[in-house]
Amino acid sequence: MNKQASLSKMRKVEERAAYLFLSPYLIMTIVFTVGMILFALYISLHSWNLFQSPEFVGLDNYFKAFRSEDFLRGFLNITWYTLLVVFFQTFIAVFMAVVLFKPIPGKQFFRTFFYAPSVTSSVVISMIFWWMYLKTGYVNLLMSKVAGIFGGEWNAVEWLNNPTGLFQLIARAFGGDIAFAQWYLHGPSVTWMALMVQAVYTTSPTFMIMFLAALVNIPPSLYESASIDGANSWKQFWKITLPMLRPIMLLVVVLGTMGCIQMFDYVKIMTAGGPLGTTLTPVYQIYTETLGINGPIRAGYGAAMAFILAVVIFVFTYIQRKFIEEKTELY
Amino acid sequence: MKKVATLIMVLMVVSAGVIFSAGEEEAVSAELTMAGAEPTSYTKFAVEVGAEIVFSGWGDATEQQIYIDGIERFSKIYPGVTVDYQPIPADFQTKLKAMMAGGTAPDVFYVDDQLMTAFGSTGQLLALDSYMEEASVTREDFIVSLLAIFTHDENTYGLPKDWGTLGLVYLPEAFEAAGIAEPTDDWTWDDLYNAAKTITEKTDYAGFGQNADWARFAPWAFSDGGSYTNADFTKATLDTPVINKAADFIMKMKNDGLLVTSADVGAGWCGEAIGKELIAMTYEGGWMVNYMRNEFPDVNWKAVQVAKSNAGNRSNVIFTNAIGVNAGTAYPKAAAAFTLFITSRENQAEVAKTGFAYPAHPDQLDLIIDPNDRAISAGGLVGKVAYWGPNTGKINDQVSKALERTYLGAMGTEDSFAEADKKVNAILAGE
Repeated sequence: MNKQASLSKMRKVEERAAYLFLSPYLIMTIVFTVGMILFALYISLHSWNLFQSPEFVGLDNYFKAFRSEDFLRGFLNITWYTLLVVFFQTFIAVFMAVVLFKPIPGKQFFRTFFYAPSVTSSVVISMIFWWMYLKTGYVNLLMSKVAGIFGGEWNAVEWLNNPTGLFQLIARAFGGDIAFAQWYLHGPSVTWMALMVQAVYTTSPTFMIMFLAALVNIPPSLYESASIDGANSWKQFWKITLPMLRPIMLLVVVLGTMGCIQMFDYVKIMTAGGPLGTTLTPVYQIYTETLGINGPIRAGYGAAMAFILAVVIFVFTYIQRKFIEEKTELY
Repeated sequence: MKKVATLIMVLMVVSAGVIFSAGEEEAVSAELTMAGAEPTSYTKFAVEVGAEIVFSGWGDATEQQIYIDGIERFSKIYPGVTVDYQPIPADFQTKLKAMMAGGTAPDVFYVDDQLMTAFGSTGQLLALDSYMEEASVTREDFIVSLLAIFTHDENTYGLPKDWGTLGLVYLPEAFEAAGIAEPTDDWTWDDLYNAAKTITEKTDYAGFGQNADWARFAPWAFSDGGSYTNADFTKATLDTPVINKAADFIMKMKNDGLLVTSADVGAGWCGEAIGKELIAMTYEGGWMVNYMRNEFPDVNWKAVQVAKSNAGNRSNVIFTNAIGVNAGTAYPKAAAAFTLFITSRENQAEVAKTGFAYPAHPDQLDLIIDPNDRAISAGGLVGKVAYWGPNTGKINDQVSKALERTYLGAMGTEDSFAEADKKVNAILAGE
C-alpha cells in the first residue's frame, strides 16, 4: 500500500515536472496558435478594419466569399495547381531518389546539385525564372532552337502574361475554342503552368531527400530474396521499393498539398494574380483583403476566407491520409 | 506559495503604477518652447520640449538623402526636436498598417491614397488644420487639387510632399533614323500614330511602348472628358463612348503593330525599354530623369507633353503623396511642425534643386529646371489627380484588367470596358 502511494506520488511529481518543462511551448501555442485561431474565428464573423471596433455581421463574410468570382476562381486555380504540382513533384522526387540511390559515379555531387534550388530563396528563384520566362528570354530561345532542329518555327510566348487555358489550347488545336466568359472550363493558364514548373523545380529536391532517407531503411534482404525468386529491377521497384516508400509518400503528398494550397510567394512576386486572374490564389486574396492592398481593409472577410481554406486543407489531408494509409496497411 | 504569488501581484501593480505615474508626470511637465532660428516664410509655433519623433517613408538612397538633408534643415529651426528617420524601402503600406494596428507606427510618415483609405476615416491620422493655422499655412498654399486625396470630413490629414504626371518620352535617335521630325507639344494622337508607323516600318525601334496599365491609359481616356468614376465616386463611368474611343485608338495601334508592351521587347517597364533603346516613344513621368541619369547616362532622351486627342483636347493623370501625422503621437505639435516644414516652400525649393520631385506649391513650378522635367510637369496643369475614392486601387485594377483583356485579344474593347464597368459598380456597392 505504502509502495503504491509512493509510486502515485512520484507519478504526480513527474507529471508536474513534465508540465513545467512543457509550459513555455504550451503557453506560446495557446496564445499564438489556439488564441489566434479563436480570434480569427471571432473576426470572421465581423466587419473589421483593424482600427475600429469590429461590427458583428454573422456569416455574411462567408457568404460573400462564396459569391465572389475571384475567390471561386482562386480555388479553382489552386485545385489545378495542387493536383499537378503534387503529382509531378512526388513523381520526380521518387525518380531522382531512386536514381541517386544507385551506386553511380558523382552521386554526392548530383545530390548537392539537385538540392540547391530547395535552399535558394524563393525571391531569387522567382527573379531567375522571371528573366527566363521573358518573351525575349531563354525559354523562348531554347524552344526556337528546338523548333529549328525540326525545321519548324517557334512563336515567342509571353509566359508570364498568357491567360490562355490548357483546355482552350487543346480546343484551338482542333479548330474550336472555349468562350472567355466560361473561365471555369479553361483549365490552368499558360502562366499558371509556368509557375507550376517553377514550383516543381524548387520543391522536388526537398522531397527527394526524404525519399532517399526512406530508401536507406528498406532491408536489402527483400531485394536479395526477390532476386533469388527471379524478379527483375522493374518488378523489384513496383513490388518492394514503391510499397515500402508509401508511409513517406503520405508525408510528402500531405506536406506538398498543404504547401501548394498555401501558395503565395511566386504569385506575389511574379504575377500579382494576373493575367486576368488566372494565377489568383486564396492566400493571395486573404493577404490583399486583410491588409487592404487595393481598397479598404476587410480583415473579417480575409479571416472568413482563411477558415474556408483551412477546412479545404483539412478535407484534402483527410482524404489523402485515408487513401494512402489504407494502401499502406496492405503491406 | 500563496504569499509569494500575492507578493508578485502586489509588486506588479506597484511597478505598473510607477510606470504610469512617471508617464503622466512627463506629460504634465512637458513645456512649450519657441527656441531656435527664425523660420523664413511660415510661422514657427511652439512645440513640446525635448520632443523625439520617428519619421518613415519609402524610397531609394537618393530619396533618403533628400529627407536626411530636410531633417537637418528642420533641426536648425527646431533644435529641441529630435527626428529619428527610419526609412522603409519595401512594402511600406503593408508594414505601416501592421505597425499602426500594433501601436508602433512612426509619428510622421508618407501617406498615399492606400494609407489615406486605411487611416483617414478611422481616426489614425492627426487633423493638421489647427497646426496649419498656427503656422499661417493655408490649403491654398498648395496646388489645391492635390489635397483632395488627403481631405476627409473637411479635415486635412496630409500635406502633399510632391507630385508627378506623365509626358511623351522619346528617343531623338529613333526619329533621326526614321527621317522624321521629333514630337512637339502640339502633337495629336494621329501624329503619334503616324510617327510610330514610320519608325516601326523604317527602323529597328518599336514605335510606341505602353503596358495594360490604368495610369498610362488615363491621358487617353481623360482627354475628351472621360473618367473612371463619376465625381462623387459612386458609379463607374467606364462603359462610355469616350473611354471606348480612347481604348479603340490604342488597340488600333496595337493591332497595327505600332504599340508594344515592355515584355514584348524584353524590358521590365517602358522606361527601361527607352533606356535600352528598344522603343522610340512611351508615356512616362519625372522619375525618368534620375533613372536615366543613373542607369543609362549615355542615352539621349527627351520629353514633351502627352499628345492631344484628335479633337484637340489634352488631359493627364497626377500622382501625389503626402506627409501625415500619427494621431497617437506623444508629440503632436513637434510632429505637425516637422510635417509643415518638410512640405513648406523653403524645403521644397531645396528638394526642387535636386530635380527629384516637383514642388507642391503652385508658385514654385518655375523651380523645375531640367528641360525634360519641365516638359513633363506641364501635364500637371491639365491633369486629374489619381483618386477615385476609397476603392481607388480596385478601380485602377479593373481598368488595367479591361486593357489586359483587349491586349490579349480575349475581348473587344467595348465588351471589356462594359465588363469592367459592371465590376467597378459591384465594388462601389461594397460587394
